[in-house]
Amino acid sequence: MKWYIIRRTLWAGFATVIILSITFVLMDQIPSQQIMQAQFQAAVDGVDVETAVQAEKERLGLAKPFHERYIEFMLNIFQGKWGWSYEYSQPVREVIVQTVPYSLMYGFPAIVLSTVIGTVIGLYSAVNQYTTKDYVATFLAFFGISIPNFWFGIVLLVIFGTFLGWVDIGWNAAIVKSADGAWVLLDTAGSEHPAFLREDFQGERYIGVLSPQNLKQLILPTFVVMTGAIASVMRYARAEALEYVDAEFVKTAKSKGVSNRTIVAKHILRPASIPLMTIMVGRILGLILFGSYLVEIVFGIPGIGLASLQAIIRQDTDLVAITILIPTFIAIMGNLIEDIMYAILDPRIDYGDR
Amino acid sequence: MGEKTDQPETDGGTPQEDPTFEQVDWASIDSGETPRRKKEYVWFGIVSAWLIGVVYDVYSQHIAGTGAAEFPVVGIISPVDWLWSITLLVFVYYGLVPLAENRRMTRYYWKEFRKNKAAVISGLFLTVIFAVGVIGSRVLPAPERTPGLENQPPVWGSVEDYVTGNDCPGGTTVVDGVTMCQGSWAHPLGTTSSGEDILRASIYGMEVSMQVGLIATLLSITLAAAVGLTAAYYGGLVDEVLMRYVDIQITFPTFFLFLLLAYTVGGSLFVLILIFGLFGWGSSARIMRAEALQRREEPYIQAAKNAGASSFWTVRRHLLPNISNSLITAASLTIPSIILAEAAIAFLGLGDLTVASWGRIISGGRDQLRTAWWIATIPGVFLFFTILAFNFLGDALRDALDPRHGGSGE
Repeated sequence: MKWYIIRRTLWAGFATVIILSITFVLMDQIPSQQIMQAQFQAAVDGVDVETAVQAEKERLGLAKPFHERYIEFMLNIFQGKWGWSYEYSQPVREVIVQTVPYSLMYGFPAIVLSTVIGTVIGLYSAVNQYTTKDYVATFLAFFGISIPNFWFGIVLLVIFGTFLGWVDIGWNAAIVKSADGAWVLLDTAGSEHPAFLREDFQGERYIGVLSPQNLKQLILPTFVVMTGAIASVMRYARAEALEYVDAEFVKTAKSKGVSNRTIVAKHILRPASIPLMTIMVGRILGLILFGSYLVEIVFGIPGIGLASLQAIIRQDTDLVAITILIPTFIAIMGNLIEDIMYAILDPRIDYGDR
Repeated sequence: MGEKTDQPETDGGTPQEDPTFEQVDWASIDSGETPRRKKEYVWFGIVSAWLIGVVYDVYSQHIAGTGAAEFPVVGIISPVDWLWSITLLVFVYYGLVPLAENRRMTRYYWKEFRKNKAAVISGLFLTVIFAVGVIGSRVLPAPERTPGLENQPPVWGSVEDYVTGNDCPGGTTVVDGVTMCQGSWAHPLGTTSSGEDILRASIYGMEVSMQVGLIATLLSITLAAAVGLTAAYYGGLVDEVLMRYVDIQITFPTFFLFLLLAYTVGGSLFVLILIFGLFGWGSSARIMRAEALQRREEPYIQAAKNAGASSFWTVRRHLLPNISNSLITAASLTIPSIILAEAAIAFLGLGDLTVASWGRIISGGRDQLRTAWWIATIPGVFLFFTILAFNFLGDALRDALDPRHGGSGE
């Protein structure tokens, strides 16, 4: 098994290098913003365009041969030198550090909640197979899988924001930070705080990640991101649990008069939880990453997905590359952890030959 | 699908004596190549005509440099339409023709299929979407930007007059001192913020979604079957190389791979379809390889090999038909994921801005949820129900065809 884990880890590393190489080759095809700017500037100033472009290329290091640029790119990625974002006028790394907490704020609860809720519904559905409740759960799972996250978010915003007026359509990004821009968990601030720009009130209100106003605006995006994930976990948990519902040891337990609850918790959930735990890390992570990317755009959450969209629109190449690479890398790590956990947790599988 | 069945000929006359085993003229069976049937000739003819057309089009565009080739009757055929036509032809030849030839089995399938209400409704819904999309986008005028007709509400609604453009074909009413613009039957589902009719844009979007879903799935499933079967049949080094490539492709999360490719090389609908078709087949190939590995050890494969069948023949005639269950299931579950991916890419603004994709219209209404809610929500209804219907259909097919899912017996 040790050998398997080593091989699997090496493979993840190899895959990362391959993906970085593909990204480099693809990104290399795109005309650089700076060069186009230099071209434009030269045309305006009446300077020879060719010379200006050449000079700009020299300055940016693009005049070097392909393999040198490739090695430099790879080294920079691993050293955390991720380039410069023109959109935000700061290093890409700074942008990522600023945006990731916003994504985590709803992404993390979504992963935990969807795993727990999905498993519970799936187990319930499996134990009550072919009853109305099972059919309802399966039907809802289909809805969850089929509904496009970004559209669902829009519909909820229209219902709860436009028609009912319960939530604000815009996103209040300043509420989680104190007036000087540092993240706070819970604090109070007066109406001079940037979060209350258009409001006028006396006294102080809560700000911070755990403030009621922030939690309220987090409900809808978390829910939307969860729908697809709950449905997948539920389907998976149901299929997994069904394998044990009719198992001999469950029948034995039943005939000995063990209560239903104990059977589900001890005899079905236990063996079924191994594959469940592992898919939580890999697949659900991927789903949430994909879902959150679009959901952030719908709700206007200034996380990594919105940063990516703005980078795409403005052709901010360095930022596009990193915002796509980060979820990809997280997914690779998720798969790696999934496989290793599986190998450790399930001793029945023999990895000797692979 | 499409393999021959040896049905005894019935001529309605005096019943022929069944030939006993000794009477069978094995020499004539062995020597004569099985004659190709009429429909195969027709099919080869159609495919060759299509190929010649494509080659001529490519030649006149890229080698002769005289622009897109003009064909009699149909005029200029765009690259997407070339792919679209062959996709539909393949669907007819491998899907509908065998069903029409094999009435008895068709009746049996229908009887089984009818039990699943959700799948029947989904099938009907998709047929309607397909027909309305294909016919509608040829009959109806294309949705155009119309200054003055911006943000018209749907026919049952009304909205403050300042939200809409200057014109208001549905007439205006004054409620509580505010002039309200009524929706009109001229634009039953309203218009977008650039004055495009949403109903017509949605109908055009139906064909786009179907095109993307079906063409890319055909490409993707063909590749997956080719790779999966080759890997399983030859094994050894071939298997290792092919499946390691698949591993890399799967490691890259599909959506982000599509996103990266759409950003760097994307643009036109044609390129998007190619991206979806050429880079999303990894998991289907794995499923088919796993299935083919089991089938490879079956006696009939060994018998075919011992009888001197070539590798291609064995794979094409014996392996492929026997994994068609997995193939159909994989195909029916690939379609919705690709339609969703296209909508997402279009929503991000990376799609083809000249086609009326549902995702593009939804994204256009994103900034106006407060004032013109119908722009972003209505096209999504079509998107959601199309994906839902494909998922239902795929699940029903899997239950019916895949013995491992144990749904068929109950």
